[in-house]
Amino acid sequence: MACMSRSTWRLLLIVVFMQGLAMSIARAQVLAQAAGFDPLALESAPVQKIESQSNLKMFVEGAIGTSNRRYQLGDADLRRASFDFNYSGRIGQGLRFVFSDRVDNIRPTSPGRDSTINSLREAYLSWQSDSGSDIVDIGRINLRYGPGYGYNPTDFFRDGSLRAVTTANPFALRENRLGTVVLRGQHLWTGGSLSVAYSPKLAKRPSSDGWSLDFGSTNNRDRGLVALGTQLSESVSTQLLAYKEQGLSPKVGASITALLSNAAVAHAEWSRGSEPDLLKHTLLLPESKSTRNRFAGGLTYTTVGKLSLTAEYQYNGFGLDKSAWAALAANAVNQVNYLLQAQRLQDQVPRHAFLVYATQKDVGIKNLDLTAFLRVNLVDQSRLAWVELRHHWPNFDLAFQLQQNIGRSTSEYGILPDRRVIQLLGSYYF
Amino acid sequence: MKKLALLFLSCFIGGFASAGPSAEEILAASDAIRNPGRPFSVTVTLTEFQGGKQVDTSTLVSYSRTQQVGGQFASLIRFVLPARDAGKLMLKNGNDLWFYDPASKASVRISPQQRLLGQASNGDVATVNFAKDYNVKLLAEEEIKDGHGKLRRARKLGLTAAAADVTYASIEMWVDAGNSQPIMARFYAESARLLKTAYYRHYQQQLGVERPTETVIIDGLNPQSVTLMRFTDYTARVVPETWLQRDYLPRFQPE
Repeated sequence: MACMSRSTWRLLLIVVFMQGLAMSIARAQVLAQAAGFDPLALESAPVQKIESQSNLKMFVEGAIGTSNRRYQLGDADLRRASFDFNYSGRIGQGLRFVFSDRVDNIRPTSPGRDSTINSLREAYLSWQSDSGSDIVDIGRINLRYGPGYGYNPTDFFRDGSLRAVTTANPFALRENRLGTVVLRGQHLWTGGSLSVAYSPKLAKRPSSDGWSLDFGSTNNRDRGLVALGTQLSESVSTQLLAYKEQGLSPKVGASITALLSNAAVAHAEWSRGSEPDLLKHTLLLPESKSTRNRFAGGLTYTTVGKLSLTAEYQYNGFGLDKSAWAALAANAVNQVNYLLQAQRLQDQVPRHAFLVYATQKDVGIKNLDLTAFLRVNLVDQSRLAWVELRHHWPNFDLAFQLQQNIGRSTSEYGILPDRRVIQLLGSYYF
Repeated sequence: MKKLALLFLSCFIGGFASAGPSAEEILAASDAIRNPGRPFSVTVTLTEFQGGKQVDTSTLVSYSRTQQVGGQFASLIRFVLPARDAGKLMLKNGNDLWFYDPASKASVRISPQQRLLGQASNGDVATVNFAKDYNVKLLAEEEIKDGHGKLRRARKLGLTAAAADVTYASIEMWVDAGNSQPIMARFYAESARLLKTAYYRHYQQQLGVERPTETVIIDGLNPQSVTLMRFTDYTARVVPETWLQRDYLPRFQPE
């Protein structure tokens, strides 16, 4: 816990320093500009013509960096080039088409994977009644649920959905995931909605082919989901979910978000179900099913100075506790296999974990944003710290990222080959 | 005899006072000039200045309608420019605020203090009927300079929050004495600190009424920080109430 406190304090110190810097520079700017001007003499920027019938968003991104590695592996150069495409447009009365795809070329290449990986995230048709209250979708859809920042127990379609891992930031990771092929119907009324989704089995196993549609990752069993969303009041909303997949008994889940004050928002999500033990499954031991809970709950507070801080506790009843983790640590190969399996399922490794997530807009200068987070494994006390400074120009972003994996050699983050990763990214938006 | 004279005088004053519109009526008339009385969309161009120098610009489209319960406006705001933000949505239904990013498919509840739009607050771009959220008093009638530097005869209104959860604790608002067009407003925090000053200007015919098509917002703490909000393309729209909730955000398709 002492280690956790040190890391948390370090992160908070960085954030507080940045905010102090921002305020000092802002004050200096005000003094420098004291010459004065007439605000009523200012003129608005030219009004842009809007093409409103479709949403098209495209960007290219390049990253260079270096990884400082453990196990006497030395430093490794990192390179990535990505193309990201999103389109959503009307193709008829009440009918729209959504297409979302991403191509990543990543060096060095992960073992057993192609260097170029295509992720067809979404491709579906959506029909909507004139009132917008009845909707039917068919195709590959990113069904994402849950208000949690770093862990989503009610996000039942998350497993196997990431083909290329390009960041440790949980928010950015969600942008790259594959959707699931589903038939979905939804009915909305004032203050609520009910949706039903059916996802059929289309393939048996995941594909390592970089250009594969990879239905084996997202549609390797029959699955169904019912979700009921309700707005209990202006400041409280909930979601209830029931999920069933082939070969397993149904799972239930619920989530809630609440506005606590002008500056504070709380969130919580929970799921319960019966599953095979992940550890036994990974180690090819005789499997047994057990019924357990998953939970994530947190609070976000925003200061007047645009600093948003989120603290989130995460619980995975299927994750390893201290004694099980210690037993697994006796065999490094088993431990790595277990971590890789948890990563593929996007599930939480330890029984208990904690996340602090901070964002600060306009750090010192306009359009310079800071994002930082700290993940703490409360079972083995290992930590992942991540900081990004990102400057926006009208069509271009430049970002500097630093990631540090901290912990003993047998811990979740300490066992990773990468000790420290530093990257510079540039993104151009068309 | 003295009592009779006092009674006569009070009737005379009362009759005089009731000859003009009440403070509530003036504020409601001013709201009706800023906001169309039917569901609509409007394009909002935000231009930010620091010390007179333009530092940022963004474009949004706001879809608004009054709610059947309470009568206050609810707004769905679509980000158009800059390109990195295209397609993002913000929903404002009173203090029920949501931000939706189509890239992550995440609908995130945000607090009123979380800003998505640079210097402008989330409430600045959403449509608000002040008469629904504030108690109002007529404070004075005086001459003030409008957003074009022209002297105008104005009624000064004092607004105080009717509930604890509204954005501003109090507002001073000047409206034209003849036609109730809003001219200027000062917005205060509970501590009586000036948060911002707004000038309503560039009146043009939009959806059948002369409406302000530009608002100049001057930061109360840092007057060097100024945001111009330009309103164009007012269009009457069908905006069903079912659109104005979290679960509709992933479904929204611009028209």
